[in-house]
Amino acid sequence: MVGGFSSLLWAGAVLCFLAYLIEFSKDKSASMDNIYLGVVLIMVVILTGMFAYYQEAKSTNIIASFTKMIPRKAFVIRDGKKREIPAEHLVVGDIVEIKGGDQIPADIRILASQGCKVDNSSLTGESEPQSRSCDLTHENPLETKNIGFYSTTCLEGTATGMVINTGDRTIIGRIALLASSLGHEKTPIAIEIEHFVHIVAGVAVSIGIVFFIIAICMQYRVLDAVIFLIGIILANVPEGLVAAVTVSLSLTAKRMAKKNCLVKNLEAVETLGSTSIICSDKTGTLTQNRMTVAHLWFDKQIYQADTSEDQNDHVFDQSSATWASLSKIVTLCNRAEFIPGQESTSIMKKVVMGDASEAALLKFSEVIMGNVIERRKRNRKVAEIPFNSINKFQLSIHETDDPNDKRFLLVMKGAPEKILEKCSTIMINGQEQPLDESTAEAFQTAYMELGGLGERVLGFCHLYLPEDEFPDTYTFDVESMNFPTSDLCFVGLISLIDPPRSTVPDAVMKCRSAGIKVIMVTGDHPITAKAIARSVGIISANSETAEDMAKRLKIPVEQVNKREAKAAVVSGMELKEMSPEELDELLTYHTEIVFARTSPQQKLIIVEGCQRQDAVVAVTGDGVNDSPALKKADIGIAMGFAGSDAAANAADMVLLDDNFSSIVTGIEEGRLIFDNLKKIIAFTLTKNIAELIPFLIFIIAGVPLPIGTMAILFIDLGTDVIPSIALAYEKAESDIMSRKPRHMKDRLANHQLALYSYLQIGILQSAGGFFAYFTVYAVQGFKPDRLLYLRPLWENGSLNDLEDSYGQEWTKYQRKYLECTGYTAYFVAVMVQQIADVIIRKTRINSIFQQGLFRNKYIWVGIASQIIIAAIVSCGFGSIPILNFTTLRVQYWFVAVPYAIVIWLYDEFRKLLIRRYPGSWWDKTMYY
Amino acid sequence: MVNEKEKKTGGQVLEEWKEFVWNPRTHEFMGRTGTSWAFILLFYLVFYGFLTALFTLTMWVMLQTVSDHIPTYQDQLATPGLMIRPKTENLEVLVNLSDTKSWNQHVQILDKFLEPYNDSVQAQKNDVCRPGHYYEQPDNGVLNYPKRACQFNRTQLGDCSGLSDPTHYGYSTGQPCVFIKMNRVINFYAGANQSMNVTCVGKRNEDAKNLGDFTMFPANGNIDLMYFPYYGKKFHVNYTQPLVAVKFMNVTPNVEVNVECRINAVNIATNDERDKFAGRVAFKLRIIKKT
Repeated sequence: MVGGFSSLLWAGAVLCFLAYLIEFSKDKSASMDNIYLGVVLIMVVILTGMFAYYQEAKSTNIIASFTKMIPRKAFVIRDGKKREIPAEHLVVGDIVEIKGGDQIPADIRILASQGCKVDNSSLTGESEPQSRSCDLTHENPLETKNIGFYSTTCLEGTATGMVINTGDRTIIGRIALLASSLGHEKTPIAIEIEHFVHIVAGVAVSIGIVFFIIAICMQYRVLDAVIFLIGIILANVPEGLVAAVTVSLSLTAKRMAKKNCLVKNLEAVETLGSTSIICSDKTGTLTQNRMTVAHLWFDKQIYQADTSEDQNDHVFDQSSATWASLSKIVTLCNRAEFIPGQESTSIMKKVVMGDASEAALLKFSEVIMGNVIERRKRNRKVAEIPFNSINKFQLSIHETDDPNDKRFLLVMKGAPEKILEKCSTIMINGQEQPLDESTAEAFQTAYMELGGLGERVLGFCHLYLPEDEFPDTYTFDVESMNFPTSDLCFVGLISLIDPPRSTVPDAVMKCRSAGIKVIMVTGDHPITAKAIARSVGIISANSETAEDMAKRLKIPVEQVNKREAKAAVVSGMELKEMSPEELDELLTYHTEIVFARTSPQQKLIIVEGCQRQDAVVAVTGDGVNDSPALKKADIGIAMGFAGSDAAANAADMVLLDDNFSSIVTGIEEGRLIFDNLKKIIAFTLTKNIAELIPFLIFIIAGVPLPIGTMAILFIDLGTDVIPSIALAYEKAESDIMSRKPRHMKDRLANHQLALYSYLQIGILQSAGGFFAYFTVYAVQGFKPDRLLYLRPLWENGSLNDLEDSYGQEWTKYQRKYLECTGYTAYFVAVMVQQIADVIIRKTRINSIFQQGLFRNKYIWVGIASQIIIAAIVSCGFGSIPILNFTTLRVQYWFVAVPYAIVIWLYDEFRKLLIRRYPGSWWDKTMYY
Repeated sequence: MVNEKEKKTGGQVLEEWKEFVWNPRTHEFMGRTGTSWAFILLFYLVFYGFLTALFTLTMWVMLQTVSDHIPTYQDQLATPGLMIRPKTENLEVLVNLSDTKSWNQHVQILDKFLEPYNDSVQAQKNDVCRPGHYYEQPDNGVLNYPKRACQFNRTQLGDCSGLSDPTHYGYSTGQPCVFIKMNRVINFYAGANQSMNVTCVGKRNEDAKNLGDFTMFPANGNIDLMYFPYYGKKFHVNYTQPLVAVKFMNVTPNVEVNVECRINAVNIATNDERDKFAGRVAFKLRIIKKT
């Protein structure tokens, strides 16, 4: 409610009261018009302020995330006794006990642990449960296993720990402080609007002062000069614009919310449109965030599996007998199970109990063979060794489902090299063959190839235990391993990957053509990161990293000119060594960059590096310690699905589906709204001149006032509001995703826009308005020549026999009524021409016919609203004296139509020349 | 935004301005080169030339549709207003008997105002009409035929005619004449064929008391129908507006007296709440007399 236009309106209101006081001091019966106007102005300021606040508040969802994370109670051992105290009463040195399901009440060092696992995802973004023990495993407190962090959750097991930090001094508290201390700087749109307000306010104030001086010089009374000043300010301030911009932004925000981009801060809508670099997470954003079978290797051949989201067309050869065996192992040697009660959900969406790889294999076999549980039942499990990191395999022994076959089947899966070690034969086309050199080599090649794709490879083998040695009464003992674990038969390899989302490659392509650089920032291994980057196009097919070039040219990496390589994969360790200058260089010379093995803290460094390149940076993040980076970025994008509340809090936008392509949709919307805001501003500014010129002519030529202040307010806040909002629905004129991101020097309201609106269309509109004004005076008896310099007589209250062009005499009231008819005529003329204006503003370069007159229905709603509001004002409010409207004869509604047509034709002509002669003087001067 | 924008020092701002006004490197004046300025000026010359032509054309067409002798609409003049002479600031007739200047200006105004009513002028220019009847002059096929006017002789105003009057319309003796006239409206048949007259009263009771007696000329404040209708400035050149003079005989001095005069005619409403001068006129009378 302060700053910019509002302060101008406040000034206007103060001037109104001042004018009334001056008048009142001279004549006790002074008219109250100025008081009414002042009150109306203050109401306008307050109402638009409240409206903007309401819109903002509606879309800003303030989440008190840090307070929500505070654990309520803690079990503490004090004085040798276990007691429960509120978590905020903990002090450093307290011994606390935690168990599965608890939130850790402070940063603690683990003293004792029984299978304790914690979920650190809100802090580090790692989604896998982390085990905690009392060993110091790393210098870095975030990496070491013997520290449990405040606000993280203990998933299973129990632990005892000593409090080492509390409250704001905890790791998470420090991050929260850091996030809140990083001031969010002004959004680009806020800067643009400020710039625009400066232009308009500058024009208003300077014209106002110039004409104030002119009025004084022309020996008008000071009171009159003050009233002129009010009129000029009022005419210049686009009162309805703030509301229109806010509504347009929130409409776009709504549209984006439908496409899964939830915008917290309205201005972020446009910021997204000017984004030039996106720093994206890999897991979940670019990828589907679930392990999926990508490739199979059996019969010495690699087969590809379907990795799309619904996975329903597996096209590899399933006729081979080897596949039958492999599928049996996959099904049986698997501990994962579907959580019951999800019969109706599709297989890929079912929730699985078990680790990610096992879940992937379970779903894979369920999709291909169906009913895994039933098959497992038929092949009853008799013994099992679960996977552990020491032996690196998983083994189980089953009865077969063939009633005639009394043999037991031993199945095993694990790290391929370990599995191969245990095998002496290999199954080819269903036949067991000895494992010779060439087969081993084929295995190696396949293993390397799949590993090089960044996939997690598993080996599978089996053995039918001979019936004589292992009769069906045999008891298997997993401790003593009373069964063979060597000389098995190798069956095949299956490789798993977290596959990219199917929409991502397209989205990355779109970004590239839109001139937006996509940088991947991930905690994953560089090979996996690079493979995903390649598959989604972040590293394009024909570009190489320095390492690739070295490999191709067969020279050491050091000798490669790194600037020749388009792509770069940088690990967190390398990034740590880099100086800011080196990072700048890296960001400048490589167009395709992947940061792998980075800690979330390094994200902030990367963001700052990008911002040093004058880029508008969008960053995605989900963990709590992404929040500084999210806050620092020009637009922080939090993941709604996997993300923490703190990240959502620090972000400007929340992606509900965590999908990268939603960001691109958002960018498209952001760019569109920038274009449309230009149109809205151009539309709104035009009629300001048509409102201003009457005052200037009034002062200089002394004609009766053509338009009153109330009529101006009715245009700005009445007829013009809905059409300007309707422009926000305008479709893009051309492919907005094929042009470069907006440069910061491309202003929203540039001088082309101002000049075209003010000095061309605005002046044309004024001419149309004056034509209507002169017409209604002429038909009532005052021809234009009579009106010149008539003002002193016209406004003289005691002159009740003013002669018109025909010799008839008019009382003051009759003249005042005619003056109001003049206001109404001028008002209607401006309204009619604003209809033409809203139509021409639909496009900036294309012809209206290329854009389609009827594609944006809201424009017609807007035009209808203009006419209806004008009709109501003219007919219904004609009897309310302070509004100064009268009922206008029907034919005078059409007086300005020729001018409206000229406006439209002229604008078509302008656009035609721009299209014909791009880059010409005309293009540079006339394209806004 | 990206880097915190450093506050520019005053000197830098000045430098930037200087460079904006005249940039010696690019030879730009106010951000444009000479040719660019020439183009811009030429463009706006053409544009505004075209706009002027358009405006002139539309105005010309519009004025063609407006008749010369009668305005297209007269709805806003349905009730003619009344007005007084002498015309004064705030409609206050102030007569200070000890200060000749205070009323002499009124006298001069009236002298000038009544000059066209001199009998000689009237006899020379205007017709003698039949009283009590409208003086209708149809065009009879001749378009906009010039119209004749009826005589209103200054002598009809009796004591208020100011002819060989040493009291100057009574202003020197504190018995001022105020002249009431009705606004001209083209083709308006005032009175609707019935006689009409002007009456005056004090606005409130005390005003009525202070006002005292007054005499009206012509008698009864009558306005004759023969002065209607009016055919407009252009074709009714010598039209003489009928007057009613009111001579206030003994106004209580040194008080402000509010007088209201209205016309009594069948087709003139005098009770419009918004227009205080529709069919009536209110003015103040104040005679200052040293006791």
